[in-house]
Amino acid sequence: MEFHKNLLTEKAKFILRIAEKLGATQTEVTIGLQKSALTRLANSIIDQNVEENHATIQTVTYIGKKKGSTSVEVMDNKSIEKAVENAVKIAKISPEDKNFHSLPEPLSYTHIPLKELVSKNTMNTNPEQRAESAKLVIDIAHSIDDRIKAVAGAISHGLAERVIMNSLGIEAYEVGTYSNINLTILAEDGKEQAAGWYADQNMDFSKLHLNEVAEIAAKKAVDGFGMQIIEPRDYEVVMEPAAFSGLLLFMAYFGFSAAMVQEYVSFLREKIGSKLFSEKFNVWDDALDKRATFRAFFDDEGYPKSKINLVEKGVIRNYAYDSYTARKDGVKSTGHHNKEEGRALPFPTSMFVGEGDSNLEEMIAETKDGLLITHFHYQNAVSPTEGIFTGLTRDGTWKIENGEIKYPVRTLRFTDAFPRFLGTINLIGKYQPINSQAYKVPPIKLPSFTISSIQK
Amino acid sequence: MKDLTQKALDVSIGQGASYADIRIVTITDEDITIKRGNIDVLNLTTRTGFGIRTIANGGLGFAGSYLLEPREIERVAKLAVRIAKASGVTRKIPIRLVEEKAVVDTYKTSIQKDPFLVPTEEKISLLMEADKRMQDFSDKVKMTESDFRAFREDKVFASSEGAYITQQITFCGGGISCTAIEGGKQPQTRSLPTSFRGDFSTQGYEYFEQLHLVDLTDKAATEAIALLDAKQCPSGKENLILDGNQLMLQVHESCGHPTELDRVLGTEAAYAGTSFLTPDLLGNLKYGSDLVNITADSTIPGGLGTFGYDDEGVSARRTELIKDGLFVGYQSSRETATILGLERSSAGMRADNAQHIPLIRMVNINLEPGDWKRDELIADTKHGILLSTNKSWSIDDKRLNFQFGTEIAWEIVDGELGQILKNPTYAGITPEFWGEMDAHTKDDWRIWGTPNCGKGQPGQIMYVAHGVGTARFRNIDIGITKEGRK
Repeated sequence: MEFHKNLLTEKAKFILRIAEKLGATQTEVTIGLQKSALTRLANSIIDQNVEENHATIQTVTYIGKKKGSTSVEVMDNKSIEKAVENAVKIAKISPEDKNFHSLPEPLSYTHIPLKELVSKNTMNTNPEQRAESAKLVIDIAHSIDDRIKAVAGAISHGLAERVIMNSLGIEAYEVGTYSNINLTILAEDGKEQAAGWYADQNMDFSKLHLNEVAEIAAKKAVDGFGMQIIEPRDYEVVMEPAAFSGLLLFMAYFGFSAAMVQEYVSFLREKIGSKLFSEKFNVWDDALDKRATFRAFFDDEGYPKSKINLVEKGVIRNYAYDSYTARKDGVKSTGHHNKEEGRALPFPTSMFVGEGDSNLEEMIAETKDGLLITHFHYQNAVSPTEGIFTGLTRDGTWKIENGEIKYPVRTLRFTDAFPRFLGTINLIGKYQPINSQAYKVPPIKLPSFTISSIQK
Repeated sequence: MKDLTQKALDVSIGQGASYADIRIVTITDEDITIKRGNIDVLNLTTRTGFGIRTIANGGLGFAGSYLLEPREIERVAKLAVRIAKASGVTRKIPIRLVEEKAVVDTYKTSIQKDPFLVPTEEKISLLMEADKRMQDFSDKVKMTESDFRAFREDKVFASSEGAYITQQITFCGGGISCTAIEGGKQPQTRSLPTSFRGDFSTQGYEYFEQLHLVDLTDKAATEAIALLDAKQCPSGKENLILDGNQLMLQVHESCGHPTELDRVLGTEAAYAGTSFLTPDLLGNLKYGSDLVNITADSTIPGGLGTFGYDDEGVSARRTELIKDGLFVGYQSSRETATILGLERSSAGMRADNAQHIPLIRMVNINLEPGDWKRDELIADTKHGILLSTNKSWSIDDKRLNFQFGTEIAWEIVDGELGQILKNPTYAGITPEFWGEMDAHTKDDWRIWGTPNCGKGQPGQIMYVAHGVGTARFRNIDIGITKEGRK
């Protein structure tokens, strides 16, 4: 397999040299090459089908404590030179950042073997193979039940390479492939429309569970007929991994991000050492773990990734730091720098929730008056300082009564606070064989979850 | 540039495409954020690339690249046609585009002061002053933020039908925000002129100057501090008045998105969702009260949805979506217009960069001005609450069930603004909510610009705008938070 490590490294060194010559005292450069493809399904056809080819360079320069940055999409040396000149020019006129101390110094990495990050199958996937996969899942879904009306979703894959170097000696290179399928399948019986969803992701396109994803999503859609209206109140709830993972995304961003803590936004501010959640709740972040959806051995400033415990037996143990926020709190970076277009915010990207010994069947059997939720839509913070969030159920929610699934329910809105609904956990299950969600999360059963409104 | 666009079109047609277009785009984006007197972001982005869209064997294909060279254009054109052919395999009905006259033209946003020629030092200085004034206002003001952004998109559109259009769109704007904190009280934030980094317009630096951010700082800090000890917004049914900076988001989420015809036809079913506005309801659904008139208008000066031509080469225009409360129109593209049998596209197709495929995106989706004056509207309200400045939003995949929160509210008693209320929220069902609108103002009607609208897979962030005044809605559910339930 042919990659571009030498080219990227050479360009990065070129940038560091120019910046130094122009007077920068510290410089960090990130160069990325990305090829991606996405086939979008709607109404059981390929509706959109795209491929992209990107080359991006982000240069951050410091003159003392004064910072300037540029982002460009070029690879020729003349344009690169201009981008570096602009970054230095901006730094020269920038006010001092009193909180800036230094870019990170080099540290050793726990490298992830190339074969665990890159799949030749994914790299070789072409438009015809994506179309074949699309046709396969469309056919499978329609074969499940005559009432399947439309298959929608996306089949995507890509290859990303990047090098991060800084003037203090950090030099990090990684390459990886990814692939994903997500399907939303609509069913109609003449009286109502129901939807089902499922997804899978793998660095190897050929290992995506196409058949299973199509079958599960189609069955969920068909099981959605006969939706009833229930009253808004507190219910027991069984969340499938995707539902729980969707909630945790907001906890990662609004809770564990050290920047959000320092800016008085996080509901976890001043909660280190406090028991906020059930003793059954254990959360950690580990991008090195083979089971993680997103794997990396350094963050967006080249700082080494390692495992950090965020919640142990319900007690808050850590926030996610980069070197800038870590310096403010007098701690070490945890390797969570995330950079986009010059803006940076640390937050966990590879979270795990500790498994229990239960399973979905037992959770349903143990539920007297509750809900089974596939996943959520349009979550948002209502009051992040209190951990109050809202969102809606989507693509399959069922009422459970006396240990049995009784009937599907219309779209529900929840509005509830993390410390409240995770204060007590009844049961936690095992990780599922198909990786349908961003974080590694098992299903979970909670005794109380607040449904604030319902769509009639 | 013409030789490159012609090469793309020639290669595409030569490979068997029945239609092809190419966009060559350069985006320049200056972004400055000051937080508590420190530079948080000071970044200049320049991004160039191209995207080729083709129709072949009845299917649609799109490919793009950053490398603007003849050989790469040839490779990408061939790839776009190959993708289109592969896509066509699953199509039951070949893709067709509604007729549109091919245009050769040039369009440029009217600006007085080019924001990219104004020294960055001047922008920083203004933001620093605003930031310092908020910090100095009180020890209770713990977090401050001042933002500036200037954006420019230079693009060339050429099609195999003969269109060749060059456009330059520039927008500019910013805002301030501060958070007051005291003891164990819940932190409270005020943002002006609106939240999420401010307000933007397709004007030059003169628009940023007109925002007078420094003059807004005392008001922001005063209100943030007052909110610390304010009464919690009560729960129940109440008459609701929405300020423009919240009403614009209400229009965005519950009028703009559901009238996008691609959502209606299922294209977004797996991601953003569909819409309750199915074609059988066109001309039949009472969407709101008789006072509700909503248009999609890409011709209004200053709106972030203002342009000469969309990314299919369709000229800017005004389309009625809701007329006298009746649902009468969609935002459409050349493809979706054909599917629904419409005569023309509403010129709704835009992509957020060269390498993304154009999608139906809101332009300026406006609640047309009413007859009221704002003061009269408040004076006419015996009891109610006035909500201002969005803080939280969420709406279901069909765009029916929404819940919003704002930074601040004022109680209205006997036609006068009274005490401040904290953590205000309200919720509703779209047509029921708009059915309760009984007043909308004219005197404070203006265009609000937001560059943060997400849609599509791969995800795209588009700049859009909404013209609104201040509106009143009767008997709305308010106070939805879960406060105190720990």
